[in-house]
Amino acid sequence: MNFTPVDWAIVVGYLVTTLAVGLVGKRYVGTVSHYLVAGRELGLYVGIATLAATEIGTITFMYNGEFGYRYGFAAFAPALISGLVMIFVGRTGFVIRRFRDLRLMTVPEYFEVRYSRGLRIVTGVLVALGGILNMGVFLRIEGEFLTVVSGIDSRYLVGVMTAILLLELVYTVLGGMVSVVITDFLQYVLLSVATILVSIYAVTFAGWGHIVSKVTTVMGHAGFSPIANPKFGITFLVWQTLLWLSLHTCWQTTAMRVFSTKSAETSKRVMTWTGFIFLGRGMLPMLWGIAALTLYGTGALHRGVPQPVVAGQTLAPIDAMPAMLAHILGPGVRGVVVAGMLAATMSVNSSYLLGWSAVISQDVILPVRQALGRGALGARAQIFVNRIANLFVSLFLMFWGLYYTPPGAVYLYLNITGTIFLAGAFVCVVGGLYWRRSNVLGGYVAMLAGAAGAIVPFFILKWNENVTGFAAFGLALCGLVVGSLLGRGER
Amino acid sequence: MNLWLIFWALMLVVAGGSFAAITVVVTVRGFRDLRQWFASLSRQNADP
Repeated sequence: MNFTPVDWAIVVGYLVTTLAVGLVGKRYVGTVSHYLVAGRELGLYVGIATLAATEIGTITFMYNGEFGYRYGFAAFAPALISGLVMIFVGRTGFVIRRFRDLRLMTVPEYFEVRYSRGLRIVTGVLVALGGILNMGVFLRIEGEFLTVVSGIDSRYLVGVMTAILLLELVYTVLGGMVSVVITDFLQYVLLSVATILVSIYAVTFAGWGHIVSKVTTVMGHAGFSPIANPKFGITFLVWQTLLWLSLHTCWQTTAMRVFSTKSAETSKRVMTWTGFIFLGRGMLPMLWGIAALTLYGTGALHRGVPQPVVAGQTLAPIDAMPAMLAHILGPGVRGVVVAGMLAATMSVNSSYLLGWSAVISQDVILPVRQALGRGALGARAQIFVNRIANLFVSLFLMFWGLYYTPPGAVYLYLNITGTIFLAGAFVCVVGGLYWRRSNVLGGYVAMLAGAAGAIVPFFILKWNENVTGFAAFGLALCGLVVGSLLGRGER
Repeated sequence: MNLWLIFWALMLVVAGGSFAAITVVVTVRGFRDLRQWFASLSRQNADP
């Protein structure tokens, strides 16, 4: 056990405070708009905090750490792209300004506004499928992080996962977006402090000179240049640019923050400033991964990189970073860092639970009811349906997290599962907003071609990730153009 | 390789610096935002 009583006290104190603060949110929930988009009243600073906290989780630290461990400084390229693209979206208002003006609550809702109810339902199903598969690996990896850093026996991984899920479920189900935003603020502060602390510790312990020397020895030029690195190259960089453009505009949990702000202008400013945070969100944990490679990368070569060996035991690359933290952080600091990581975990999971369950309830269940000729549901009934969807998503996450292990780097698995719906959704949204001829047939073909372009090459043909991602976006674009030209004009 | 290293080192400084600076500003000013937001939600709930 690596934890001292001081560390436990810090972590338990954080958990109790979060639960109490989260439950406060319930008293402010009066309407569906409060429950899903915080009453559309978020200001700039809380907007930044909730958006950053939503997209920075322990899972983010883990997959970025693994990416840094495997690919050295070249791994910084997607982190840089993610930040720059977000700043671009914020400065120009590309997609998000019009989204905010439409007063939406979910991304698939746009598809009914612009295309048809049927396409909204199809998009809702694909968004929920891709989103939940994406989130499906979170719990296991977060549980691994906590057991490695705290030293809890790995037999208790399931218990740790269940406890994390139940805690965040309680306040998310009861208080919806209001509770999520309040806890996000607290969690943002804590996770940021932890991020800065770990970065200082990692560089201090590994030493900048040793870090550079290790990457040079192990990877050579490919460890620095994303163009020379065989895993990346120009196609990867273009795919990452498209992917992040679609993530920052059409990813449900990010879009919900845009919908929750006071105005379109506020959403643009939130996006711009969070773009700078995104640079650190990627690069800092990647640096921790490179530091872990420097300190523990002494094992046999696997795919060109030495496996991490800690205390005589060979680990998977993704576990190198948490193992490093367990060794370099002192008592007290370890408690703060684990509390910060728990904060990150809970802020992401609660937002994602809310995001995907909102899509299931608002874009699948309710439109299907309407299509069947049932009457509209009142606010209380809609909130109830959302809560049930929340529970359903949680149960699925538990089982998927237990039985599925992603092949290869987790970062790339997450990219591909997101691409299942992002390729089609992004193309349809941009086409719908900026191309008058896009129509319902084009929308259907784009969504289905984008999903097939992600699922078939990756899960069946076993193509590599950047070719798969490229294929999905290309097929979706062709689908929208060809379908729209063959269809019956604009709607 | 040296050019890439210099580039990434610069980016790392920008990323770390902006991350820390924005954290401080958001922490301090976010409380005021939260209070205004609670007041607004209460007003919305009070209105019939």
